[in-house]
Amino acid sequence: MGIETTFGDNIITTQIDKVVNWGRKNALWPMPFGLACCAIEMMSAVAPRYDLARFGAEVFRFSPRQSDLMIVAGTVTYKMAAVTRKIYDQMPEPKWVIAMGACASSGGIYDTYATVQGVDEIIPVDVYLPGCPPRPEALIHALMEIQKKISKESVLDD
Amino acid sequence: MVEVSAIGKKLKKKFPKAVTKVKTFRGELTISIDKDYIERVAKFLCDDKASDFDYLSDLCGLDKSRLDSSDTFEVVYHLYSLKKNHRVRLKVEIPASNPSIDTVTNVWKTADWHEREAYDMFGIFFNGHPNLERILTPEGFEGNPLRKDYPLKGRQPDSLREVYRKGKE
Repeated sequence: MGIETTFGDNIITTQIDKVVNWGRKNALWPMPFGLACCAIEMMSAVAPRYDLARFGAEVFRFSPRQSDLMIVAGTVTYKMAAVTRKIYDQMPEPKWVIAMGACASSGGIYDTYATVQGVDEIIPVDVYLPGCPPRPEALIHALMEIQKKISKESVLDD
Repeated sequence: MVEVSAIGKKLKKKFPKAVTKVKTFRGELTISIDKDYIERVAKFLCDDKASDFDYLSDLCGLDKSRLDSSDTFEVVYHLYSLKKNHRVRLKVEIPASNPSIDTVTNVWKTADWHEREAYDMFGIFFNGHPNLERILTPEGFEGNPLRKDYPLKGRQPDSLREVYRKGKE
């Protein structure tokens, strides 16, 4: 966001903020990083009963290059950690991350040598979603929290 | 089962020095083999028409240091015959200070990855293995996780975590 910053902090930028944030939050394209059981709940959140498409998150692109929300659903092991980081790096800005489930948030019940104790050891997380697995409605709630977070952003901050 | 224990007798007759113990419990035959003979025994059990063990169900390592304070590892082979429908278990004890044993990949190809897992988890070396490398632990992992002296909550060396945080190029 370059040219808007020349306007300074006034009504023009706040109106631009509103439009940009509205566009971003209502068309979040998730990158489902489904690793384990939480992926099933993520699938059911996209299924017709708990439709995630109503919130704009219809296009579940499995390509990081075409998505802006990474949902880490499942246990991240150290062997998978390098891959997780690579996929995160391939996503273009702006990007957000939901750590779905207990394993992605904090390692879950796997306090062992092989499991990353929370995916925030590797990538920055915006919303942590506890549960084992969290219900599909909880994932929808997490998505709504991301939307709230996006609506607070501004073109003036980097 | 009568047929199963006949295998034990036949094996003992052919390799008298190899077989250290034959045990039957609830219809399951377990034969303890001396580690120098394992490849010959495996080949015999696979080729012999009466036993015909053409399928290696499982090959795993075992750390017996807490079990009977003997400081030994064990390699356990579970064999199954697809044609004759009988099973046998082979157990081979190896010293923990120098855990190495001959490979059986020449007899059953599936032993390739199972032996890699035993190598990764216990540090057991398999002589003659075509590709003895880590299979389950990530690159740079130090230690053998399934040994009894490896802590459950053992953590990676910090240098490795930095690699993951920065991302691999």
